[in-house]
Amino acid sequence: MWRPCGVFDETYAQDMAIVRTSRHWIVLIVALVIFFLTPVFGSYYIVSFLNTLAITIIAVLGLQIVSGFCGQISFGQAAFMAVGGYTSAVLTTKLGLSFWFALPLAGVFTGLYGVIGGAPSMRIKGFYLAIATIAIHFVTLWLLLHLEITGKSMGIVLDPPRIGAFEFDTDERMFYVIMPVMIILTYAARNLVRTRVGRAFVAVRDNDLAAQVMGVNLYFYKLLAFFISCFYAGIAGSLFAHSTLVCHPEQFTLLHALWFIGMLIVGGLGSIPGVFFGVLFIRILDEFVLFVSPLFADWIPWLGLAPAAGLGVTAFGLVLAWFLIKEPHGLAHRWEILKASSRLYPFAY
Amino acid sequence: MSNFLQLLFIGLFEGSLYAMVAAAIVLVYKSTHVVSLAHGQLMAYGALAFWFTLTVLKLPFIVALLLALIILAVCGWLIERLAMRPLIGQPLFAAFLTTFALFLLGDGIFQLILKGESTSFSAYLPGGMTPVLGVSLPTTQLISFGVCLALFLCLAIFFRKTKIGLGMRATAEDHQLAQSTGISVRAIFSWIWVISAMVATIAGIALANVMDIYFPLPYVGIKGLIVALVGGLESLPGALLAGLLLGVLENVSAGYLDPLVGGGVKEVAAYVLLLFILLVKPYGLFGLVRIERI
Repeated sequence: MWRPCGVFDETYAQDMAIVRTSRHWIVLIVALVIFFLTPVFGSYYIVSFLNTLAITIIAVLGLQIVSGFCGQISFGQAAFMAVGGYTSAVLTTKLGLSFWFALPLAGVFTGLYGVIGGAPSMRIKGFYLAIATIAIHFVTLWLLLHLEITGKSMGIVLDPPRIGAFEFDTDERMFYVIMPVMIILTYAARNLVRTRVGRAFVAVRDNDLAAQVMGVNLYFYKLLAFFISCFYAGIAGSLFAHSTLVCHPEQFTLLHALWFIGMLIVGGLGSIPGVFFGVLFIRILDEFVLFVSPLFADWIPWLGLAPAAGLGVTAFGLVLAWFLIKEPHGLAHRWEILKASSRLYPFAY
Repeated sequence: MSNFLQLLFIGLFEGSLYAMVAAAIVLVYKSTHVVSLAHGQLMAYGALAFWFTLTVLKLPFIVALLLALIILAVCGWLIERLAMRPLIGQPLFAAFLTTFALFLLGDGIFQLILKGESTSFSAYLPGGMTPVLGVSLPTTQLISFGVCLALFLCLAIFFRKTKIGLGMRATAEDHQLAQSTGISVRAIFSWIWVISAMVATIAGIALANVMDIYFPLPYVGIKGLIVALVGGLESLPGALLAGLLLGVLENVSAGYLDPLVGGGVKEVAAYVLLLFILLVKPYGLFGLVRIERI
């Protein structure tokens, strides 16, 4: 990031700080204040768009930790989100617990479930694990659809979160529940990957055998990565269930998990800002396709009346293939280049 | 007993379909070490191309089949040329994810073509039932089972007798070594995609005979992938055996367990089998056990 002349790091803490100068603090705080005022002057469309964006970001952050940092590609994130949503729904409707307790409990329970789901990673890796997580996805959704406690094919209808008599029943109100959670979890993820645990994850990703030789406990760290990732998924699922007020297996399909992986690739594997870029890019692409698809339908009658769903997936697949072939480091890589060149301007390096 | 036989036969038929999809995936993996998710789409497009040539262009059966095979061969070649070749030298996982992107791309176009409807060409094929061991079975499914066995036989001969097949086996062993003996590894990669696309087409046509051509069709490709993993990614006989095993397991377990748990066993049986096999034998039933070095 841009720094004026004469700012030097004198201690280790200064060198590691995310926010470095007082000017950065001012920018950050002003940006946050403006951001939190969005529901006041923003339209309903913007607010609900930001809400789904934030929930997706939480889920993809979890995926980034297990896939981007620990290298265990997981196609199970949608199913883990479903587990979180259902846990929260069961805790609030069947046991009468408050949302504020159900939210962290859903995270922890999903994390524990994820440790079971991640257990195959002790024996297999790479493609094998990726396909095993697809299997876990289908088994999980099958369980949700057939267990008595999850309401079978009816799903569960939830109540909105509340403090006293104040109900968070609109998107504008849910904004103030979702956003602080997202910011805290982003901060936690950003710092987690710089700790001993994060470095162990990266070592496992880069070469698991070498990591083991150096004394990294492979199984512990792989399962820990799954736990943390599923904790994020659980929180995301719980927030999602409480903002849509219904929990149904149809909301968490394999396609959702595929989209999460796609966002990760577009954003860049192994980068926390990359998650934001990826989710934003793909979501905007999706909205753009939704916007232009009626025009396409006019120009090319052959496409039929409602080509939005097909066009969306087509555009997504094209973008993904293009990124994998031409820009494998994702948008985060471009961002780093931009940051470096702006810091060094007018010199090349 | 006749109930069991019925389930067994249906299981064998469905298993042969899975085995053909798995064969296409195994072919690509053997030579290029890329696990392909795109074959579900190749299969679906094969069925679609055959539907187009048979029912829209109203060509005779053999011509329609050949035309569908040619169309898909071109598709397979294009995939190799445009998506896979630029990734040579990059991590294999990038190629895996690219096939995943191709899967999504194909899925979108598939939805655009079908517009949410379903089509079928089974009306253009001979109907009728044939009794086998006291169980009457659809004739077309018996034929497709025979086609599957013939396909595996052809592949076995192809890999043992023809020059290009032997070249593929050499490439599967070691790319650099194969290249140094004068085999063009690039040409082999193109060929393998063309052949596996054609195998996927046959699988897709056989499959569309049983289920209609509509949006879940490509997702049967995931079942094919599971069969390939259970059988071992390098092994064609493994694909056949695992496919038949999975088909029988799905149908027999669904037939006997569905009344107990309230339906839907068929949808998860494959995944439970996969998780179990991977935990016991991580490289599948007949797969090569890889010894890794740092």
